[in-house]
Formats: sequence, structure tokens, C-alpha cells
Amino acid sequence: MERKGMVTRFALVSLVVLAILGVVLPSGARSLVVQIMIFSIFAMGYDICLGYTNQCSLGHSMFFGAGAYGAILSVMSFKLGLIPALGVALLVGFLFSFLLGLICVRLSEAYFVIVTAIISAVFHLLAMDMTWLTGGDDGLSATIPPISQRISQLSLYNPYVNYYFVFFFLLMSYLVLTRMIGAPLGRIFISIRENPRRAHFLGYNVTRYKLVAFVLSGIFGALSGALYAMTLRYASADYFSFYWSVLPIVWCLIGGTGTLAGCWLGVALMSLFQYYVSAWFTHYLLLFGILILIILKVSRRGMLGYLTGRGTR
Amino acid sequence: MTGNLLEVVGVSMHFGGLTAVDEVSYKIGAGEVRGIIGPNGAGKTTLFNVITGEFKPSSGKIYLKGEDITGLAPDRICQKGMSRTFQLTYVFPEMTVYQCVWVGVYSKARRAGTLFFSRADHLKEAADKTMELCRLVGLEDKRDELASNLSYGDQKVLEIAMALSTDPALLLLDEPTQGVGPKEADSIVQLIELLSQRMSILLIEHNIDIILRVCHNLTVLSFGRVIADGSCEEIGRNEEVQRIYLGEITCS
Repeated sequence: MERKGMVTRFALVSLVVLAILGVVLPSGARSLVVQIMIFSIFAMGYDICLGYTNQCSLGHSMFFGAGAYGAILSVMSFKLGLIPALGVALLVGFLFSFLLGLICVRLSEAYFVIVTAIISAVFHLLAMDMTWLTGGDDGLSATIPPISQRISQLSLYNPYVNYYFVFFFLLMSYLVLTRMIGAPLGRIFISIRENPRRAHFLGYNVTRYKLVAFVLSGIFGALSGALYAMTLRYASADYFSFYWSVLPIVWCLIGGTGTLAGCWLGVALMSLFQYYVSAWFTHYLLLFGILILIILKVSRRGMLGYLTGRGTR
Repeated sequence: MTGNLLEVVGVSMHFGGLTAVDEVSYKIGAGEVRGIIGPNGAGKTTLFNVITGEFKPSSGKIYLKGEDITGLAPDRICQKGMSRTFQLTYVFPEMTVYQCVWVGVYSKARRAGTLFFSRADHLKEAADKTMELCRLVGLEDKRDELASNLSYGDQKVLEIAMALSTDPALLLLDEPTQGVGPKEADSIVQLIELLSQRMSILLIEHNIDIILRVCHNLTVLSFGRVIADGSCEEIGRNEEVQRIYLGEITCS
């Protein structure tokens, strides 16, 4: 289990580095790292779907958007505190992913991709049209309440608090997900990825386990969306767009599917690329596409898969 | 339905206009080893697929331990004590031998609430059982190899170990020695002989020597129909079978 050990070591080192960066970095770079951490949660959740049960969903923008609106709307309309608003976001994410999962997980691969993409596209249109609820393309801006009502300094308006608030959730997400993957559930997921038919014949209700994986990843997508909206104090219908469904796939593929922490590399690479290259080249995504192709050509298991020595298969 | 572990009653399977399995009936008693033979395309594997729940039969009934299992999903049928191997190796390529077997063992051992926080004694029980199975089939030394790195013969053995992992009362083996060298085939046959003392086995096999060595009774299929059913001696004497399939054969 050499490889597993290396992935864990990578994750621990990254977490320590992230913990230190919060104090060291200048404010511009710090907000970039906050964004990377938020997306990392999304990517890890997505990895449960793609990397562990082989479900390539194109519908995860729904959960990201639902989480963002769940948080923003409960702060704006219901005057909920920060933590309860996050709870609402997770609940909304659960409901969305459960309902979508009920429809989709039993579909075979290509149909699964298409149907998740279509349903999320429908929700994108709805979000743009229902301006009374979502603010449409202009979006909604909200005032985010402090984390605790008693200590008003603990507010996300303080960049340090914001950084470590997000860091806390990244850490928790990582711990919860590694715990699950290390538990029997994780091994069952992997067996379903490796050969769903055989897993079925070994007595597992494959559809049900796929649904569990789908819902788990949906919840983490919603958490990520909520944190993103709270950090920007803003949510718009754009969060439901196709772009946010494709991003996690790219992150996971670059970083390495089925590694959890690997996708952090993917997120970091893409965010840094976006930040620095877009400054001098408008069509930076073109370059990024080529970069993805090169990475996947070198190692089908992504960057972390390559670094841990398994290489191409 | 008494005394029979598996009873298949008039099962047919149509795919469009094609009748792959036509009114097949047979019974398997406890401890019986029954061979299913027949030319290629006779419907042997389709019959397996129907019995194990992959396909719902177009007509007919299947009883396991007297209970109607017709049309149940494969996972339910597996939990009721029937397990199968596949003709082509069908393992979890990127998992180790140990993990492949463990998945099946855990399927039998799992209880509500053990998915996230498993009790140590349940895990220990599953680990012990897994090791025992690895030892039984002789893959103990290779338990940390990835399944995809095993030789074809070892993958066939792993197939059997995985089928055994769910603790079946009836084991369905689909050409367990196909494509395997004579020496490895012999050890697989020895394994089957050993298993036949513990459970009933339904065996698809083309090698007549192996069939005669391990099976008590035979069912002969041709074009989806049962053309003969009986002990090895009876089948050996059956002229139609000789003509269609066996060629010349002498039974000891």
C-alpha cells in the first residue's frame, strides 16, 4: 500500500502548507488560495462520483448553485446565522442530489452523462428566469452575518477568519471523506467502479451504492457552493451553468481520479493558470486545454497518479 | 419442492425471435454436482444468466431451497445462497486478491450501520474469513497482488474464491478451466472436488474428462433444449447425445 501512503503524505503536507500560507500570503494571493480550497472541496466530492464509482456526472453545477443559493437566501430572506445557513445549503444539496440521483444513477454511462447534463441545463434556465428568487444573471448580494453572534470579530469580512473558516471545512471534508473511503463503504465503491456487474453478483445493490456516492458528492458540491457564495457574499444564476459542471471533471482528471487529495493539485494548477496566464493572454483556456492533453498523455492517472509512480496503464 | 436445492421448471428465454433457452427443467439436490454440457451456443451460459437473475426468464419458474426466486435481482439471489463465476475472468482488476475476496465476504457479513463505522469484531471476522478463503484456493502468497497482475489461471482461481466468498449453498461454475494450462486445470479440478464435499455445484465444462471426474449427473443441452438428463453412465449410453455431442466415449 505504498501508493496510499504517498497520497496521504501529500495530503498532510498540503494541509500544513495551507495552514501556514494563511498567515504568510499577501491579501491577493490569499483570496486566490481561499478559492482553491473551496474548489478543492467541490473536487473531492466530485471524485467520490467519478473516481470511486465511475459516474461521470455533468450535473454538479446544480448542487454548487443550489448550495450557493441555499446559503445566500437563508441569510437574506430568513435572517439565519452563518452556520445554520450552511446547514440549509447542505440540506438543499442533499435533496437536489437525491432526487437527481433517483432519476439518473440507474442509467448506463452515456445516458447518465446526457441526462445529468440536460437536467442541470434546465435548472440553469430556471435560475435565469426566476429572477424574483435568484436575481437571474445579476445575482443576489447579501450581508453575511458573523460566525458567532456574540463575537462580532469572527466575521468572514475579516480575511484571516475567512481563510481559516474555509480551511476548517476543507480539513473536515478531507477527514470525513478519507474516513468513508477507508471504511468498507469505500472498498465497495471501488469494487463497483472496477466491475459493477460482478459487485452485483456478489450481493451488492449497485444502484443503491451509486446513489449513496452521488448524494455524498452532491452534498460536498453544495458545501463548496455555499462557502463560495459566502466568501464572495454573492450568488448568481451563473453558478448553475455548464461551466461549473465541467470544472470538477477537469480538476479530477488533472489531479488524478480516485485519490481524493489528488484533485487539489488539479484545482491549484487551474486556478493559478487562470489567475496568472489570463492576465497576459485572453484565450488562456486554449493553452490550458493543451496542458490537460499533455498531462493526460503522460499519465492517465493525472498528476498525483504519476507522482506516486503508477504512471500510465 | 422438497429436498431439492435448486429446481428449474420449464424455463424459457427468448431474445426477440431467438429462443436461447427452451423449456428447460432440472433439479439439483443437496450435495449434488451436476454438469451442464452441450455444443457452443446451446444456451448454457444464458441458462446461468437466467438462474442467477441477470435476465428474467420469458417463462418458467426457478426455486431455490423451495423459494421462488424467479425474476429477483442478482444481488438478492446471491444473498439467498447462490453464487457464480464467469466464463471470462471477471474480477476487480485494480484491487488486490485479498480485497476482491473481502468484498464478497463483507457482502455476507455486513449488517445495518456498519458501512461507515464498522465494529472491530465484524471486520476481524471478515478478515479471518477472507484469509481462510485465500488459503483454501491457494492464493495466500499472492493476496497482495493486484488481480490484473495475476496469471490467467490464477484469475480463474480468484474467480472461484470470489464466488465462494458469499458463502453459497449452490455454486455455479462457468467453464472454470477454459483457456488454462493442464497443470493449473488439474489443480482447479482438485479444488472443485474439494468444494463438492461442502456444497452443490452446477458446472459448465467442455472437457469431458473433467466432467466425468467431478460430476454425478449431467444435463445435456442442444439448441436451448434439454436432450438428455441423467447420470454419467446413462448419458454415455444415450445415442442421441453421442451423435450430437460426445462422439465416442466410454464410462468407467
